[in-house]
Amino acid sequence: MSASIVLILCWLGLAALTTTTVLLGSAGSTLLLGASVLAVALVKAWLISDGFMELRHAPSMWRMLLFCWPLVMAGGVLLTLAL
Amino acid sequence: MSISHESMVATDRRLPGDLAMWFFILAELTVFAILILAFAVAQWLSPDLFRESRAALDSSIGLALTLSLLTSGLFAALSVEQVRNDQSRRAAVLLAAALISACIYVVLKLNEYSHLSALGLGLEHNTFFTLYWILTGFHFLHVLLGMVILGWMAERCRRRAYSVGDCAGLESGVLYWHMVDMVWVLLFPLVYIIN
Repeated sequence: MSASIVLILCWLGLAALTTTTVLLGSAGSTLLLGASVLAVALVKAWLISDGFMELRHAPSMWRMLLFCWPLVMAGGVLLTLAL
Repeated sequence: MSISHESMVATDRRLPGDLAMWFFILAELTVFAILILAFAVAQWLSPDLFRESRAALDSSIGLALTLSLLTSGLFAALSVEQVRNDQSRRAAVLLAAALISACIYVVLKLNEYSHLSALGLGLEHNTFFTLYWILTGFHFLHVLLGMVILGWMAERCRRRAYSVGDCAGLESGVLYWHMVDMVWVLLFPLVYIIN
């Protein structure tokens, strides 16, 4: 699969997940929905780092480092929602 | 026997762009992390205030803002591929398209800012709006800087300043733009969606 096709597929995934985020947000305000919205954001961040930023071809340390950022952010926000 | 580009990359892992840009991105992400966590903690302390204040924001505008940034990111990423395929002019067109998509974000965001200002929901209205203006305003400044970089790279592509073996500068500029995207992906649900 060519790199351009991969990028377009990433964008389609990101657009679909963004719409899903809005739909989940309008469905209510439970902890489960909040966690689902954060999980969707995490997948979107992964698509950007591994797809757009090409970290899937980079050394593992950098790949993990960039994925840790949205993971810590989503975890921190979820913690404040759950408390 | 020919070796495909993919298999070469798989055996020889490479960090795109300049190493300095990656350290800059990490520093920027750290600053945004502090602001995002401050917003989350403030929301934990005053959940009712944040729920009521968030009602003044339109999530469909948030959706349009996100899609415009992501579309701009796609065009920017495709431009790097075009330079690697020795198609600098096509890359310049794609960067111009990325810039136009970013302009849509700017227009929408400025409309939202003016709407909130007209309603008296400024920086000093309450904790939610203080953090809203600081967080989204700081991100907005990054978008503006990114647009300057996109425009500059588009002009360099038009002049064929990048080549197949010499495009680390372009990669670095585009990486910065993706960092702006990544931050927004976390900001959008936090500011507009999650109650």
